[in-house]
Amino acid sequence: MKILVVEDNQLILRMLEFRLKKDGHEVIVTHNGREAIEKIEAVQPDLVITDILMPYVSGLEVVAAVKKKYPTGTPVIILSGMGQENVVVEGFQLGADDYITKPFSPNELSARVRRFDLSIVK
Amino acid sequence: MSWQTFILHIFTYGILLYSILLTSCYILIGAFSISETRTYLNKNSFTDYRVLASSTEAPSMSILAPAYNEAATIIENVRSLLSLHYNNLEVIIINDGSKDDSLERLIDAYDLYKVDYFVNQQVETKLVKGVYKSHNQVYRKLIVVDKENGGKADALNVGVNIAQNNYFVCVDVDCVLEQDAILKLAKPFLENSTHRVIAAGGVVRIANSCEIEGGRLVKVNLPKQFLPRIQTLEYIRAFLLSRMAWTRLNGLLLISGAFGAFDREIVIKCGGYNHKTVGEDMELVVRMRRYMEELGQPYRVSFIPDPLCWTEAPSTFKILGRQRNRWARGTIETLRFHKKMFFNPRYGLLGMLSYPYWLFFEFLAPIIEFFGTIGLIIYCIVAEINYSALLITAGVVSIGILYSIFAILMEVLTYNQYKQRKDILRLVIVAVLEPVIFHPFVVWSSIRGNFDLLRKRNSWGEMTRQGFAAEKKIL
Amino acid sequence: MGVRLFLTTKISTINRILPFTYILKVEYLVIVIFSVVCLIGGLLVYMLFYIYIKSRREKKYDKWRLISDLLIRKAVFYDDDQVQAETNIPVTDRAKKLMNKRHFRKLLTEEIVSAKKNITGISAYNLKNLYQQLLLPNYALKNLKSRYWHIKAKAIQELTVMEMDEYVTELISFTNNQNELVRMEAQTAIVQFNGFEGLSFLDAITYPISDWQQIKLLQQLAHARPVDMGIDGWLKSANNSVVVFALKLARNYQLFELHDDILQCLDHTNPHVRLEAINFFCEIYTEDTSDALISRYLKEDLKHQLAMIKAIQNIGSEKDVPFLVSLLDKDDHEIKISAARALTKIGKNGIALLKRHADDKGYPLDQIAMHVKGGLPA
Repeated sequence: MKILVVEDNQLILRMLEFRLKKDGHEVIVTHNGREAIEKIEAVQPDLVITDILMPYVSGLEVVAAVKKKYPTGTPVIILSGMGQENVVVEGFQLGADDYITKPFSPNELSARVRRFDLSIVK
Repeated sequence: MSWQTFILHIFTYGILLYSILLTSCYILIGAFSISETRTYLNKNSFTDYRVLASSTEAPSMSILAPAYNEAATIIENVRSLLSLHYNNLEVIIINDGSKDDSLERLIDAYDLYKVDYFVNQQVETKLVKGVYKSHNQVYRKLIVVDKENGGKADALNVGVNIAQNNYFVCVDVDCVLEQDAILKLAKPFLENSTHRVIAAGGVVRIANSCEIEGGRLVKVNLPKQFLPRIQTLEYIRAFLLSRMAWTRLNGLLLISGAFGAFDREIVIKCGGYNHKTVGEDMELVVRMRRYMEELGQPYRVSFIPDPLCWTEAPSTFKILGRQRNRWARGTIETLRFHKKMFFNPRYGLLGMLSYPYWLFFEFLAPIIEFFGTIGLIIYCIVAEINYSALLITAGVVSIGILYSIFAILMEVLTYNQYKQRKDILRLVIVAVLEPVIFHPFVVWSSIRGNFDLLRKRNSWGEMTRQGFAAEKKIL
Repeated sequence: MGVRLFLTTKISTINRILPFTYILKVEYLVIVIFSVVCLIGGLLVYMLFYIYIKSRREKKYDKWRLISDLLIRKAVFYDDDQVQAETNIPVTDRAKKLMNKRHFRKLLTEEIVSAKKNITGISAYNLKNLYQQLLLPNYALKNLKSRYWHIKAKAIQELTVMEMDEYVTELISFTNNQNELVRMEAQTAIVQFNGFEGLSFLDAITYPISDWQQIKLLQQLAHARPVDMGIDGWLKSANNSVVVFALKLARNYQLFELHDDILQCLDHTNPHVRLEAINFFCEIYTEDTSDALISRYLKEDLKHQLAMIKAIQNIGSEKDVPFLVSLLDKDDHEIKISAARALTKIGKNGIALLKRHADDKGYPLDQIAMHVKGGLPA
């Protein structure tokens, strides 16, 4: 599966990349929302994992942009330190498919990602 | 003693006394700034601002952004304001009777509709023509107000009336804010349990030549043009040294109109922005302080040294001259409104230190410099060359350069926005050139400001016409 | 030589011209200017030297960062390959050697702490193991004794994030430290380790707890399980900020049983306490709560009155309608707006009364009625 990861914390980004690659996914990393929205067209990912608090363009806008471009396909997982009810609700309202709060467990993330892998589901 | 020697005496000693006072101020400001900056940076090294980003207990903030004829950029600018990291936030755009299609563009872009809105005129303002909100959930934080043209102070007062939250942040709509700007500006209001924090100012940095995309600062560059570059140095000096030092003393009098936060309750009790002065931002802080002093309640005006707000600086002598002219008038008007506080022990530090400092070093300095230089030149031509006065002048200039270099050093040691070694050298060169090329012009502009005020030329109407985006009171 | 001779003769002639040679010798002025120029030079040299050192250090740090990243990644994903819980995480010899360098240790610690903040589960447990295996807690403990407050506070934060709960006892004494930042971190630590029971420091604390710290503590407690911890005692604390914090706790955890104790806070001398008490009653109430608020209404200032109306908007019933209607005739527009909004929320009768009143009185009530019916904030 081709996964686009959007995360501004370098350490976390590298960790996510490492883990997801090990799970056999193809990983494209971006450091902020704007970069992600720019890349989406060229990359055509099967899944997007995004943080919320990032410079330039926030993750919620990434969610909105992805859902606008691909209303049915391309699931989005939000991975954010903001666990407050209203933020989570807003994320889902915008069309996010899953919401993981930081601190997160890499194992759990990997399992949740697998759910969206159509090649396995089939 | 002949009258010539008498005048020579007075003249030389006057200049000497002034120089000594100025130098001591530099030294004190430097020392206080070092200690305040160090405390701030140490504290920041382990503070997680993100706690505030989503907490429901975070103080509620309203952003007030007045706009006049900004149609070209307003959509982008509003978008960047809406994406700031802060949950408990409303963004109020005040269209101050723009003559272009700003309002129509906003309505289009953000799917706005006019709402029934009763504006509670807690502060007197011009007529509000309409209040708009968005159909779209994503933009629920946005409120657009359409009003009759009345100038910046009036537009901000409308914002104060409409705002619902405990604190408001005034920004110039064309400023570029960092993502965490509001988080950092909100924190001072939560920190002090013994003093009420009535306002918090932020740093304004110069965005000329910086790379800006979609209302966001992408890369910081030192301005390529001479005037903006010299103002970069000026801003570093003003914010990193002077403001920090005054914050240490709790004597800060000016929060830049381009980026500052205020306690709405106190602002309303003081009567809002004063639209009778061209320096409404300084006047408001002075009036709020005065109000708190008269109330006898402990209070603080806080200041955040992080570079959070970036703005375009004037790049021609014409606009710069007009700006400085206006700053001079604003300072004088503010000082005149509050002359009661001059050396009045009832007002504590405000009356005994802050006010006199502004009087002597912000208001009188250009005048003393101007007439001192003229006098010296005339004396040297008609009488004899006054070496000691010339040497004292040279001493003051060199101490001024030293102060600038110290400011650059502080910048390098703290935020270090200009990463290239070349840029630092460029700043140093600018510091040496400033007293010769830039400073005389600034002095001349404020002399003209004094003059205009003396001739009672009320330039208010003129300013409303040309809008306020091009000139803002920052230093 | 010639230059110096020229200068001396020049200076002496100048001095002869000037009448105040005693005080203002030209030599002095030259010396002052000369030393200022020297100072400028000195600052410049220092600055350039600093920039040079820093850029060199940055290069070294980049290399170190790679090493520590690798180490952290190994720890985080340690369990994936082989399930062997208690063995050590392999550390390369190179990293071991670098551990003797203070700056590398600092960098590695910061990276571990930052990773730990973002991660839970087995990976977090592994990170904690790595932290201990490298003996990093010892350095943090040493920093606790530093004479600089920010080093102390940072060490406390580090131990907290790394969940070193065996050092709780060392930290408790810092909860009433004279430095605010040290105190704050220690309080956060205790609450992190002991949950609600950690709040017992509130019994003894003499310094005020800032609003910022209250927000942090509430956030910290968000995932903890509330236990009976004697909030009623804190409600009577002499430290006003403790009372305010207790009220926030009561509101956040909907502690209905404190209703009567908090009713008494409505008569507290401190306005913040009273305001927080009023806010508590926005959600938790009995039949008599609104009466209790109304009976104190006239004694309060505008800010508190508005808060009371807002509370009544949430908890009021038909019997509060006459009170709210009476407010519609007050001079202050803000009161009118709030009362009107409260009326629309209380029931059908309220809306009808508001409408009738608005029709009678005209401006500004008619507009206020429109305004609140739009469901907008005032």
